[in-house]
Amino acid sequence: MERELVLSGIGGQGIQLAAQVVARAAIAEGREVQLFGSYGGMMRGGNTEATIVIGDEPVEAPPTVGSTWSAILMHHDYVEPTLARLRPGSIVLRNSTVYEGEVAVDGIDLHDIPATDLAVDLGNIMTASMVMTGAYARLTGLVALASLDAAVAESLPPYRTKHVELNVTALRAGWEAAC
Amino acid sequence: MTDVPVRFVPTDKAPTRAARMVDDFTPALIEVGEHHLCPGCGEPIAMRSVLEVIAELDVVQRSIAVFGIGCYTAFSNNLDLEVCQALHGRAPSVATGIKRAKPNTVVVTVQGDGDMVNEGLQEVLHTAARGESVTCIMLNNGVFGETGGHLTATTVLGQRTKNTLDGRDAEQHGYPILISNLIAQLEGAAYVARGAVNTAGNVSRTKRMITRAFETQLERRGFSFVEILTMCPTGWFIETEEAPAYLDDNLAAVHVGGVLKDW
Amino acid sequence: MEGSEAIAEAMVAAGCRFFAGYPMTPFTEILEQMAKQLPPVGGVCMNAESELEAVGMAWGAAATGTPAATGSTGQGLSLMQESIAELAMARLPLVVLNMARAQGDYWQATRGGGHGDYRTPVLAPMDVPEAVELTQRAFHWAATWRNPVLVFGDYYLAHTSQSVDVQPIDFGPAPDVSWALDGSSGGSGRAKLVSPLGTQKQRDDVGYDLSEHYLACAAATHAMLKGIEPMAEVALCDDADVVVVAYGTPGRYIRAAVKALRERGVKAGYVRPITLLPFPTEAVARAAEGAKVVAVYENNQGQMVDDVRLAVLGRTPVSFIGGLSLDTSGFGIAPDLDVTILGDRIAGALS
Repeated sequence: MERELVLSGIGGQGIQLAAQVVARAAIAEGREVQLFGSYGGMMRGGNTEATIVIGDEPVEAPPTVGSTWSAILMHHDYVEPTLARLRPGSIVLRNSTVYEGEVAVDGIDLHDIPATDLAVDLGNIMTASMVMTGAYARLTGLVALASLDAAVAESLPPYRTKHVELNVTALRAGWEAAC
Repeated sequence: MTDVPVRFVPTDKAPTRAARMVDDFTPALIEVGEHHLCPGCGEPIAMRSVLEVIAELDVVQRSIAVFGIGCYTAFSNNLDLEVCQALHGRAPSVATGIKRAKPNTVVVTVQGDGDMVNEGLQEVLHTAARGESVTCIMLNNGVFGETGGHLTATTVLGQRTKNTLDGRDAEQHGYPILISNLIAQLEGAAYVARGAVNTAGNVSRTKRMITRAFETQLERRGFSFVEILTMCPTGWFIETEEAPAYLDDNLAAVHVGGVLKDW
Repeated sequence: MEGSEAIAEAMVAAGCRFFAGYPMTPFTEILEQMAKQLPPVGGVCMNAESELEAVGMAWGAAATGTPAATGSTGQGLSLMQESIAELAMARLPLVVLNMARAQGDYWQATRGGGHGDYRTPVLAPMDVPEAVELTQRAFHWAATWRNPVLVFGDYYLAHTSQSVDVQPIDFGPAPDVSWALDGSSGGSGRAKLVSPLGTQKQRDDVGYDLSEHYLACAAATHAMLKGIEPMAEVALCDDADVVVVAYGTPGRYIRAAVKALRERGVKAGYVRPITLLPFPTEAVARAAEGAKVVAVYENNQGQMVDDVRLAVLGRTPVSFIGGLSLDTSGFGIAPDLDVTILGDRIAGALS
């Protein structure tokens, strides 16, 4: 059984980092994982998206999927392609602090997480995607929080290792917020 | 009147050695004498000097020569040295790959002015700037000799070529590039010199330059470069015996000889 | 592991010790990875000043018998074509990566963008694990046949991460490299020559005869094309009404689309060429037997479709269901690469 997660947002929100953390956590748990990240030419502010497929067997799905089991929506800009992939029962997390507008898809399991607000409370707005990731782990049960903790350290580039602790705190804040 | 014995060669049996006027001066590293270059061409003298230096420095069994495309390419077949034939203009990059992959080799490129300064200008500049431990030899006669004498990037003003019949005109054809002067400005270039092979004195001066260039490589001081002005009576449309003086009066007046840079 | 990193690791595992490249999306990450991975194993990675210099440097390293590679995207490969053509004539092994933008470079890859009578085998992986295997195979073929070999990937391959464990693959005894230069044959009277003009200097009336050399190269090319078994993935074709042919990343989408169609009762099957040269002509011809239509998907205006037509030879109608599909960047996401869209086109080819 393959489960999909599509993350969508704007450049600089940490979409690619969050995708890496989820992917690495799933690999650490012994699953087969495929991750495809794409982004516009700009390093900041452009569209950014990631597709993760997690399975128990080698992944057969192509890099991008037509329909997704779950989604993390960090921002309303560029979100349409992701909304088009939602299906009844899809677990959807919306960053309610900045996301403007509806998620007008019938039958989805929608959760509002004020990720950016919580990140600001933690002292660093950059950790909003980690807040979402922590919430995602709790709501879907797809990966364990401890696996995410370990994956953060692996995913941050060497010049950012001092941020590991902050990101781990953000994961926990998300986990707590998702009850 | 004294009796002088009449000397004659007996003809009743085959001679024990081939008849010859003088001793064989062909350098050991030239295996096949014929190179099919024109009488009066300066390139064989330049090649010979390079080969003598390689033999004198005792690096024959470490040396790889990378040839460009021009008249001198004939020598890629004649040498008792390992040869890697490169495309027109590309020899410095090929030499870079050889030297980086096998750092103990001694790598020398042989290119002409058309090959290096026209087609491959960026290759030699980047190789020099990188300070690659290779020696580049550039044979400069100011024409594409192999095609029959056409304008190159080093052709001097006023020089007649087949596609500048009235002589190179700055307004129409631009100015020649003084390649040694250009390379000498680059930090990675350790040794840069310009010689010529039109007189005995110049030949021995040039050979000293070549020796120094190889020493630069052997001591890993950086990039080494020797430009050698060579005669091309065919491409210059002059009599063979006029070529050495023509070189002095025209090419060398612009591409001025001497050591431009030494470590 | 991301595709670029996995391909780089596969190159190192295959023995590659020299790499030269020039940045260009989506090839750039492979260059970054080689710059990181080669020095620790004693290899050399050159940040060449242009693609012309990159392939020239790789040529020099290859001439010393060092397993070498270069790469770029299609545009950069256009610059390299003169050298690639001559490398084939110089009988030098080299692996060339094309991390292409969409699939417009099929003809460049399979017909060769360069001059002269040469061919380069082309391997087109559909995903990261396959790329790890095929990249290593490319080094083996290059060394065996003393010829450049192309690995044809794309943006998706470069930027998809998959769980993969890179292990060296044993392809048997290492091919002979006694032709390689190291300087040591100088002064022997039999000094070696590596040249697109001949494989030995003229001695005793042998060597340096261009007619002789080009005919020898032609014979080597012929032997190579006969010696390489074409590779393809064929599935669900036995009872198929529609057989789809697609390669590379789109092949992975076609596979998913065909399986989805089967669940809807549409008798679809697929052939995914893995070697684009030599083309799996027989596999395509066999799969097409009994089918009502052969549908070809490529993310271009129709290039491989010619090879499919040559394979089918008019026995089955061939329908082109591809077409150029690009995002605003011109090389990233292809909107058409969608299982539903492709499924509709495949079903449409039947009607």
